[in-house]
Amino acid sequence: MLLREVEYAKPGSVAEALELLAANDGARALAGGQTLINVMKARAASPDMLVDLNGLEELRGIELAADGTLTIGAMATYTEIMGSAEAKARPILGEVCATIADVQVRNRGTIGGNVCSNDPTNHLPPLMVAIGARMTIVGAGGEREVPADEFFLGVYLTAVGLGELLTRITIPAGKKDGFAAVTLGAEGTCICNAAASVNGSVRVALGCVDAVPVVLTADSPEEIPEAVRAANLMPPSDVHATSEYRIHLAEVLATRAAQEAAAR
Amino acid sequence: MSETVVAPAPVEVQKGWGGQSVRRKEDKRLLQGEGVFVDDVKRHGMGYLHFVRSPYAHAHITRVDVSAAEALDGVYGTLTGEEVAALTDPFFQISSAPGANIKDYSLAVGKVRYVGEPVVAVVAETRELARDASELVEVDYEPLPAVVDARTAQDADAPVLHDDAEGNLMWTGLYSWGDLDAAFAEADRVIEIPELHFHRFNSTPLECDGALVEYNRGVSQWTIHTNNQFPGFAAIMMGPAMKVGLDKLRFVTQDIGGGFGNKITSHPQLVVCCLLARKLNRPVQWTEWRTDFHLSMSHGNERWFHDTKVAVKDDGTLLGFRTKALDDAGAWLRYEPLGGVIWAQVTPGMYRWRHIELDFTQVATNKAPVSPNRGYSRMQHLWFTERVIDIVARELDLDPVEVRKRNYIRAEDMPYETPNGCVYDSGDYAAMLDLALELIDYASIPARRTEAKERGRLLGVGIGSTLDSGTNNFGQSRLINPELQFSGNNEVATVKLDIFGEIVVTLGTTPQGQGHETTAAQVVADILNCSPDDVHVRAGHDSYWNSHAGFSGTYASQFAVTGLSAVKGATEMLAAEIKKLAGAVFGGVPAEALELADGGVRITENPEAFLPFMACGAIVNANNAGLPEDLDVTLNCRYVYRPPFEVPDVERKFGNLTLTYATQIHVAVVEIDPETGAYEIVDYAAVDDCGKRINPQIVEGQVMGATAQALGAAIHETFEYDEDGNLLTPNFYDYHVPHALDMPPLATGATESPSPFTPLGTKGMGEGGGAGIHAVCAAVQDATGAIVTDSHNPYQRVWQLLQGAQS
Amino acid sequence: MDVTVTVNGTTYEREVEPRKLLIHFLRDDLDLTGSHIGCDTGNCGACSVIYDGVLVKSCMLLAVQANGASIETVEGLSEDEELTPLQQAFNEHHGLQCGYCTPGMLMSATALLRENPSPSEDEIKKALQGNICRCTGYWNIVEAVKSVAK
Repeated sequence: MLLREVEYAKPGSVAEALELLAANDGARALAGGQTLINVMKARAASPDMLVDLNGLEELRGIELAADGTLTIGAMATYTEIMGSAEAKARPILGEVCATIADVQVRNRGTIGGNVCSNDPTNHLPPLMVAIGARMTIVGAGGEREVPADEFFLGVYLTAVGLGELLTRITIPAGKKDGFAAVTLGAEGTCICNAAASVNGSVRVALGCVDAVPVVLTADSPEEIPEAVRAANLMPPSDVHATSEYRIHLAEVLATRAAQEAAAR
Repeated sequence: MSETVVAPAPVEVQKGWGGQSVRRKEDKRLLQGEGVFVDDVKRHGMGYLHFVRSPYAHAHITRVDVSAAEALDGVYGTLTGEEVAALTDPFFQISSAPGANIKDYSLAVGKVRYVGEPVVAVVAETRELARDASELVEVDYEPLPAVVDARTAQDADAPVLHDDAEGNLMWTGLYSWGDLDAAFAEADRVIEIPELHFHRFNSTPLECDGALVEYNRGVSQWTIHTNNQFPGFAAIMMGPAMKVGLDKLRFVTQDIGGGFGNKITSHPQLVVCCLLARKLNRPVQWTEWRTDFHLSMSHGNERWFHDTKVAVKDDGTLLGFRTKALDDAGAWLRYEPLGGVIWAQVTPGMYRWRHIELDFTQVATNKAPVSPNRGYSRMQHLWFTERVIDIVARELDLDPVEVRKRNYIRAEDMPYETPNGCVYDSGDYAAMLDLALELIDYASIPARRTEAKERGRLLGVGIGSTLDSGTNNFGQSRLINPELQFSGNNEVATVKLDIFGEIVVTLGTTPQGQGHETTAAQVVADILNCSPDDVHVRAGHDSYWNSHAGFSGTYASQFAVTGLSAVKGATEMLAAEIKKLAGAVFGGVPAEALELADGGVRITENPEAFLPFMACGAIVNANNAGLPEDLDVTLNCRYVYRPPFEVPDVERKFGNLTLTYATQIHVAVVEIDPETGAYEIVDYAAVDDCGKRINPQIVEGQVMGATAQALGAAIHETFEYDEDGNLLTPNFYDYHVPHALDMPPLATGATESPSPFTPLGTKGMGEGGGAGIHAVCAAVQDATGAIVTDSHNPYQRVWQLLQGAQS
Repeated sequence: MDVTVTVNGTTYEREVEPRKLLIHFLRDDLDLTGSHIGCDTGNCGACSVIYDGVLVKSCMLLAVQANGASIETVEGLSEDEELTPLQQAFNEHHGLQCGYCTPGMLMSATALLRENPSPSEDEIKKALQGNICRCTGYWNIVEAVKSVAK
């Protein structure tokens, strides 16, 4: 419950934030804090310095281009996404954000924090992978874009390296999306989840079954169960689900997400 | 043979405050954030305490070095197990051998026996520093194998927790009444249930334990601000261990953020705080964090029922049962093994069978110590009887409603003596069941089942009936250990008129949200014929206000009987004294000619002759010259209520163990998603009967809260360990309790069967006996067609039941 | 580090360690003990406050983050000792028992009603989803909030 000593800085610009992160290997970005502060309470990780991104307007905002492309600032909160007229261009975003935890978490938690923490039970990593999002990362070397299915590298590990920041997420136009989850109580932590998107063929991303979202593709939702079985999943067992039960849930939820996407 | 003496005819509560849902006095301060919970209490110079806790389930301690911690700037000091062993005696053990032989100190001595066990205490200037310093404490361990399954704890090769007990068996006893052989001979069928399991969880009050302890060197006296809900018990345990008289331990509580039984056994931590307050010569503050609480405090009894055999007739009449109860006590016996007898308050459950044998064994395992949890030990047993009913009904292909009605104890049988001599005071179970079924619209279930099927859902309905036995006869402890010198029960209250006539009440209880201030005021107001607003009830408990009675506290469903009867007794004493005083002041008017009204006392036939309470208080306290010499009036009345109990017959294990028996009958309707096993409660009804209700809204609130906790336990809440003894649900992230969106629609009903044994006709209530767990298990069984054998049915287990039911 | 925070209209200047959680700052440094702590993983909501107009869990923020912020806690809800209509509704509907979750519930309900003065029952439950209660089962709390909805 009680954090280790830590230094704190609140930069006024992305450039300043990058300098602070680059200067100190033990520095970590503080976004919504809804995961990081918990981790620090448990002393599971104790950064030397927190670089608070909450003053960086450059990282906020949601923009909708004429071609339907959405650009969402990494520091956009779940509440902001839910309330954004622009974000409604891709309805699944607000719908899924609305099921994350509770109002207090949604008011501070950010899309960037959710994807960068890459907890296997998070909602947004599989969703980003399914809808083909692209992540913009800035660092000393400049700016680069990483597609979602190359962004997630391991448990709590993403393509954002030391000294770098995720600044925005770009989402192509589309509406045929689905999301299904079995959670610990209503709107609780996911025991298993699946996101799907239909664009000609069906693309499904499974969460909770591996270190990173597992991608499956099929021509139609009917072929999804076979695709799940062919993926030879080996999810972890924990107090909420055995490996076997998780595999079963993955098959069911992937199918439901795909059917929801196809029906939109 | 014991007899429960019927109390003098219950007073008809005349004026009507009793029975009204008076708004709570407690609320204003709580709504304004002005409650005083233990962590709100501050003292200048206080040190913050952090416990170094064992990372191992079982290990020898080979070295403890606190020097680095003590060297840290801002650290005030430490306490080790070695010091504790030198300064204190082991805690008194309730058990007879072998459990009696274990040596329980307030910090681990020589060995750790569960993950999270406190090993060293560090006190520092700030919370954060104490936490930092704890990481500098060096403890070397030699890990040992751990035993985490009670079923293997008595194996020859099982790791042994307590060498002094020479094994993990802590207590065992055989209970047997009636003639089971004859019952099996008479039976049409004997139904066998190899294994039933009641899981480990607790009520996770939102506020965890805590204390702020001050030591007064001049008079060698501790003031313990704490949220312990049974200070009478804590004092009895702490005094001898610390080798001090009980008057040296002053317990002060005000607002407590929920207890549910889980705040009874914090005495080891309180001893640590006391020793440090004395050692460091400064107040010591301890906050228990959520993870600490989950790891180490008050897990509910986990109990297996093996080789159950039930003698039944083809028409569903139950004749008797035999079972072996195996109880998992965890690493220490803190209130145990009382669970080994407390179940016997409800031996036959709500049913008329007369031939019962239960072989109770309690073992130690490398898990958190068990201690009372809402429904303590009765809940486990009542779940067992409800499972038996539903399994029997299924085996005989009979309607569970009919089987219950056939076997329920009937209203006309009350007061009903059970096979082991307990006396159920009153209740009409069949009528309550009918009311619950009506509230759930039971007749519509077949149509709802069909409709759910069309949506791809399996609908199930289940009944959970339960008893809330209240006001313990502590003499039952002698069935555990014949040498114990405990029996009966008591509670204390004082009521006085202050100098200016203010009515002031003190309670011996430690409320944690049950509205004692309000209900006590209602009882006083009815006797003094004033308004509850005129009655000031001191908030909380202070053992120095009026030396508490030996069993003072708030636990075990008894306040409405013990607490309120103490209040009634004290107020009646005060009323009598007011009349005596007025009679003397009026020149010799007898009490019968006087009445209390309008904030004073007057001659009934001549209301102009009126003495306000203010005058009464002033006369006795400040203006008493000229009063008759033999006038025996102080207007400060202390009353100890003592329920009518006998010491039980230890040989036959026979006698009345609890004074009152409230009842709850619940019905749950579930819908299961058969593809995933995920399910929801879609409809729910709860009917309660706790005798005369002093404040119906408060009673209903207790029913609702117990229901919510039961639903949480049934579906999500579990303290589950891995094979190395690591707790897999150590905080609210993994231990999911119900949130607002989880709650089903709820219909409540109430009936009142007054208790013939209590001064107010009230019965203790509030524990709810886990009725929701029983109902959900029954509903899941109904929906899946599979026999439910575990009290905990998360989605995965339901899915597994469906797989099994198909094969 | 120095922080300047306005709480319930009063401005405080204090020096705090960066690691101090906002809830501990409120309770220990400012003696505003109305907001409570019920867990250590940000799940229970007993610490909920309104922070620059937005409902947050104050155990998930550092005090230093609140520099320049304006915070409302339960102590600031009622002026001059009188209970507000929302607080009275909790009293009338028995929406509290031990009272430990109550300050957090009140802040969540207050935030909801400011944004949505006429919430449905489902909207109320969703607004309270981040506040755990172990005593009431939530039914009476939802009724209390419903009763002051327009």
